[in-house]
Amino acid sequence: MIGPMLERVTPDTRRIAYAVAAAGAILAAGAIVHPGFASWTSLRAMIIVASFIGFVAAGQMLVVLVGGIDLSMPWVLNGAAIVVTTTSLGRTDRLGQAVLAALAVGAAVGLANGLGVAWLGVPAVVMTLGMNGVMEGLSLGLSKGLTCPSCASYVPDPLHRLVVGRLGPVPTELLVWAGVALFVTVLLTFTTFGRRVYAVGTNPRAAFLAGVPVRLVTVVLYTLSGVFAAFAGIALVSYGGQPSLGLGDPYLFESIAAVVVGGVSILGGRGHYAGVVAGSVTLVAIVTLLQAQRVPEYGRDVIYGLVILAILFTYGRERADD
Amino acid sequence: MPKVIGYAVLAATFTAYLVVYTTSLGHLPTSFDYLSLLNTALPLVLVAAGQSLVVLTGGIDLSVGGMVGLGVAIMAATSGGGLAASLGWIAVVLAAGLLCGTANGLIVAKGRIAPILTTLATLSVYSGLALKVLPVPGGSVAPEVRAVLTNPDLPTALLWLGLVVAGWLVLRRTRFGMRVYAVGSDETAARAVGVPAARVKVAVYALSGLCSALAAVFYVATTTSGDPNAGTSYILTSIAAVVVGGVAFSGGRGSALGAIAGALSLTLVVDVLFFAGIDPLYQSLFQGLFLVVAVLLGGATLRLRRAAS
Repeated sequence: MIGPMLERVTPDTRRIAYAVAAAGAILAAGAIVHPGFASWTSLRAMIIVASFIGFVAAGQMLVVLVGGIDLSMPWVLNGAAIVVTTTSLGRTDRLGQAVLAALAVGAAVGLANGLGVAWLGVPAVVMTLGMNGVMEGLSLGLSKGLTCPSCASYVPDPLHRLVVGRLGPVPTELLVWAGVALFVTVLLTFTTFGRRVYAVGTNPRAAFLAGVPVRLVTVVLYTLSGVFAAFAGIALVSYGGQPSLGLGDPYLFESIAAVVVGGVSILGGRGHYAGVVAGSVTLVAIVTLLQAQRVPEYGRDVIYGLVILAILFTYGRERADD
Repeated sequence: MPKVIGYAVLAATFTAYLVVYTTSLGHLPTSFDYLSLLNTALPLVLVAAGQSLVVLTGGIDLSVGGMVGLGVAIMAATSGGGLAASLGWIAVVLAAGLLCGTANGLIVAKGRIAPILTTLATLSVYSGLALKVLPVPGGSVAPEVRAVLTNPDLPTALLWLGLVVAGWLVLRRTRFGMRVYAVGSDETAARAVGVPAARVKVAVYALSGLCSALAAVFYVATTTSGDPNAGTSYILTSIAAVVVGGVAFSGGRGSALGAIAGALSLTLVVDVLFFAGIDPLYQSLFQGLFLVVAVLLGGATLRLRRAAS
């Protein structure tokens, strides 16, 4: 049983294994210093918080796989959160159109990012940073700084229950996350599109010469990234009930950290969503553990940074040139 | 993109500034306006200059936010001791910046961890240290320090800006300056001809840290109070300034002067939007568009020039 499994350990599966091991190590360390830390009740709460990172990281991973980056996450997320509540006005019968509108906003921004990067040749950092500013301005301006009459609305109740609810012992949010994980994994592993993504990420020039529509693939990935950022915004506002300004700010760096702690190469071409799921859990477990230990805020920041560095030293190093 | 783009953008924003200022107030900007603009711009100019050095080697420094925050926190937490004490603490701030930057450089060069990831992690560490030094916003700055650094009545800001520019002009002509470009253009080739690439990288991150610390000193002198989170906004704006200034993210092309011009442009844009009567809520929308359009136009002119030659 173990023999054939070991034979199948490719660098890719090893990366996932490292990410899962990191998550396991943090959870185990937590369970030792803080009894009950790895209990199902505590895990359930962590999974819900980790899922938000997991959603933005899904989008971030898709663009990182082709050597890109999406810095427009914070305000796409925030904008989508505002669109959901202001479109639905808290009414269940408007839920469908509200969710669609929010996802459409994400798709539109992602499409703009993709077109700018792939066709106009704007560096990804610049294009997505600029679009983040555009979305910030639009979110603040159109909602008049979140003081518009409809801005006081809550999310429709079914959405709230979907994020905080439970199906037996299983949080429904976990099922949603599993759905996202399944979608991303199937897309990347079992479709032609997925193989093209890895081809572009490994060597765009070779991929182009082999007939891969590099620009089209890039545009689709950025569009999906925008959709996932919006998806995270919907989930996050459903969790809290009402949108706030700056809701998405922490998620820019968290999404990058989750992707890399999940074993995805920042240079592109390598990595799987299974690792990113583990990476998201790792990040949340670190913060939860530090909070449970009543470490003051400054200590949490310092230790969080050092732990990420330690993880990077373990399996995130680049090859030596000489 | 050559640094000319940065100057062109600066000239364009400055013209726009003159136009909207004059039409809304009925007279040309006074020397007081220029000086307060410069005072406001100095921290970003410094951070952007440091950032451009790192970007020239093909790296990126996200931890500038934490290093500025730490410097601001130290300055604000130790205020009220008079000129001598303030000068001592400024030295401490600069040493802290240099130390933080060196740590970044060592992790990038010796640890072989991608710059964006290294500085993302150290951003968290340095921000945490800033919170430890100054848990809540507050503090003040000695009036003597303010008079020397950012006097609104004397052209001190112009002097400091001149020093930054001169510093770069000298640096660029040193062996170290050449090596920065060599490492950024082609690291393997640079190594092959004997450039100590690792040492060059450590040095640029250390300089970026020093620039962030200087920025913190000027920030406190301008705002006269401290906020441990003051640095956060400089992460993305310094990158924007570098980009508008025509420094290529692939490394090896551009100059700190372009980044300085970019930083001045970004500061001017805020005033242009203000005098043009744009709702402040929409400010970042126009800043975002400005960033993309500036880079697009830069790319287009470059392509035209290539086509012409």
